[in-house]
Amino acid sequence: MASERYSFSLTTFSPSGKLVQIEYALNAVSAGASTVGIKASNGIVIATENKQKSLLYDENSVHKIENITDNIGIVYSGMGPDYRLLVRQARKIAQNYYMIYNESIPTSQLVQRIAGVMQEYTQSGGVRPFGVSLLICGMEPSHINNDEMIPLLFQCDPSGAYFAWKATAMGKNSINGKTFLEKRYTEDLELDDAVHIAILTLKEGFEGQMNESNIEVGICDSNGFHRLDPTTIKDYLANIP
Amino acid sequence: MALNDILKHMPSINDAYNDFKACEELSFANLTQNKVLSVPPYCNPVENLAKLQEGNSDVKIHFDHGTTTLGFIYQGGVVMAVDSRATGGQYIGSQSVRKVVEINDLLLGTLAGGAADCTYWYRVLTSECRLYELRNKKKISLAAATKIMNNIIYSYKNSGLSMGMILAGGDMNQVSLYYLDSDGTRTTGKVFSVGSGSIFALGVLDSGYKWDLKDEDAYELGRRSIYHATHRDAYSGGTVRVYHVKKDGWNLISEEDCLNLHRRYQAEKNN
Amino acid sequence: MSIMAYNGGCIVAMKGKECVAIATDHRFGIQAQTIATDFEKVFPINKQMYLGLAGLQSDIITVYKRLMFRKNLYEIRENRVMQPERFAAMLSSFLYEHRFGPYFIEPVIAGLDPKTFKPFICNMDLIGCPNMPDDFVVGGTCEEQLFGMCETLWRENMEPDDLFETISQAMLNAFDRDAISGWGATVYIIEKDKTTVKTLKTRMD
Repeated sequence: MASERYSFSLTTFSPSGKLVQIEYALNAVSAGASTVGIKASNGIVIATENKQKSLLYDENSVHKIENITDNIGIVYSGMGPDYRLLVRQARKIAQNYYMIYNESIPTSQLVQRIAGVMQEYTQSGGVRPFGVSLLICGMEPSHINNDEMIPLLFQCDPSGAYFAWKATAMGKNSINGKTFLEKRYTEDLELDDAVHIAILTLKEGFEGQMNESNIEVGICDSNGFHRLDPTTIKDYLANIP
Repeated sequence: MALNDILKHMPSINDAYNDFKACEELSFANLTQNKVLSVPPYCNPVENLAKLQEGNSDVKIHFDHGTTTLGFIYQGGVVMAVDSRATGGQYIGSQSVRKVVEINDLLLGTLAGGAADCTYWYRVLTSECRLYELRNKKKISLAAATKIMNNIIYSYKNSGLSMGMILAGGDMNQVSLYYLDSDGTRTTGKVFSVGSGSIFALGVLDSGYKWDLKDEDAYELGRRSIYHATHRDAYSGGTVRVYHVKKDGWNLISEEDCLNLHRRYQAEKNN
Repeated sequence: MSIMAYNGGCIVAMKGKECVAIATDHRFGIQAQTIATDFEKVFPINKQMYLGLAGLQSDIITVYKRLMFRKNLYEIRENRVMQPERFAAMLSSFLYEHRFGPYFIEPVIAGLDPKTFKPFICNMDLIGCPNMPDDFVVGGTCEEQLFGMCETLWRENMEPDDLFETISQAMLNAFDRDAISGWGATVYIIEKDKTTVKTLKTRMD
């Protein structure tokens, strides 16, 4: 293939204007586990598959959904090790911000700065792009009225590009997932319903039986972000036909 | 424990009474001999006191020299003008100090440097001048008065006194102007200014000074010189006092707050 | 002599009822010599926040410029007005960054929260230890005098006019006992819908 001639260095454009390593990184994401994020009127939900290859895995020790601050949660599709490095960076960025301004980092600021990190890995020598796309969600006070909390959901790609979503899906079944969400999403969604829809979206194209230990769900509301424990997930699953 | 135990190393009242004579001669010497100060409580004062007064000494006996005073002689006599600020470091202790000392009907002196040094030695000088009058049945000349002052100051040279004085006076025949300081300087001249604000005052004074000044213009020159010094110099301020010394005695011409002077001069400038 | 008193000058800020005030003198001197009488040490940071910097004149200018750099960057990056609390935190960490070679300044901040309009005052030492009391903050070469005046004159919930009178009297009478502050004063009264700037006629000696 002609494009492979330019893949020796990720910082070299191909004649058609592409950085093929970034496209390959996106391929790694597309091959990764499904992830869903939905913004509700009073919060956000993010959910992902967490299927293990062997029965011997301890499902409840290593998580894919993490807190960055009390108010910000993050999940990914793609390569786990790359993700964990970004989580470390994100937490560092957030704490650094808190140290200087004595205020939690706004979600949009965190996303911008993580995107900055990801972009750097597309333009530096001796590195490769991250093999992950991130979903980052958070609640923050409205710019207009302090009492009102606004939910935010962002996607961050290996190129450093980032998008604000009402609802989105990434990973293996992202195309079907997005089509499904387009049908189900409404502006006035309650958080509970959003969790329900998120699980349903994951279920589209889920191989095998879905249960409380092969998916992860995180919710963000005015009390902050947290990962749902398996019993809560089980309750949600019970309502799904 | 009895009070006596605590005080056992103190001399008893009886001892003190017995030693009164000795004490009087040593520690209280100026009670009877006002030119005699007690010596510092260590040997070789001239050398050791100087050490204490060096800039890097931990002993805080540095006097502040914040003042502006001036005096000049012209066809109509002598004009003396002073500010009225007293400072301790950057702290303003008073805005109403009288820095012109009225020694007698004929003699005036200005006060700059250590306030205590100046006031004390002016009191001594005042009494010396009065004694001279009583002994000789005539007023002392300024030359003689300044010579007395100079002799006293010189005897304490290098002991840490800090004074810069301008003295003016008439003796029926003429008016004269002297400058004395704690280094032992004694000199006559036409224009003097002493203190931290003196450079500013002299800037105005020198540019406006003429022998032929009219009285009113001379007062205004002195006043304006001090005002400009109070404006530029942080350690000068308060009210500006102007005195006129003539052959037959002195007059207080004006006492004006710097705030009013500033408004007036500012208004003049804007016209 | 302390480097903090090399140029002279002072700042005071006070809280009122739904308003704050900050005042500065005008002197810029070199020790005893008054060089200029139009050096105001209070700078607008944004619409409802002012920063006063007392201390070494060269550092006042440098710190002000560096803070504006950081604050402008924040406001443009985050597309929002910086709150006084955030500004104070940023200033504090900026000053502590120079812990072992500090800027010789004492900052005073006064402002209203851009959204809630809650009054805010704060001062710091030269290495950024913040102090946020409910009444007043002072800084500069006549700090002791200012404390004395503020302790006696300040009352709770003063209206803007009252606050202006109080802060003016506190400032004037404090620096009239300081040789190296004064030579004019400016008072800023910051209210929800307006900021009033008044220049005071003072002693010029």
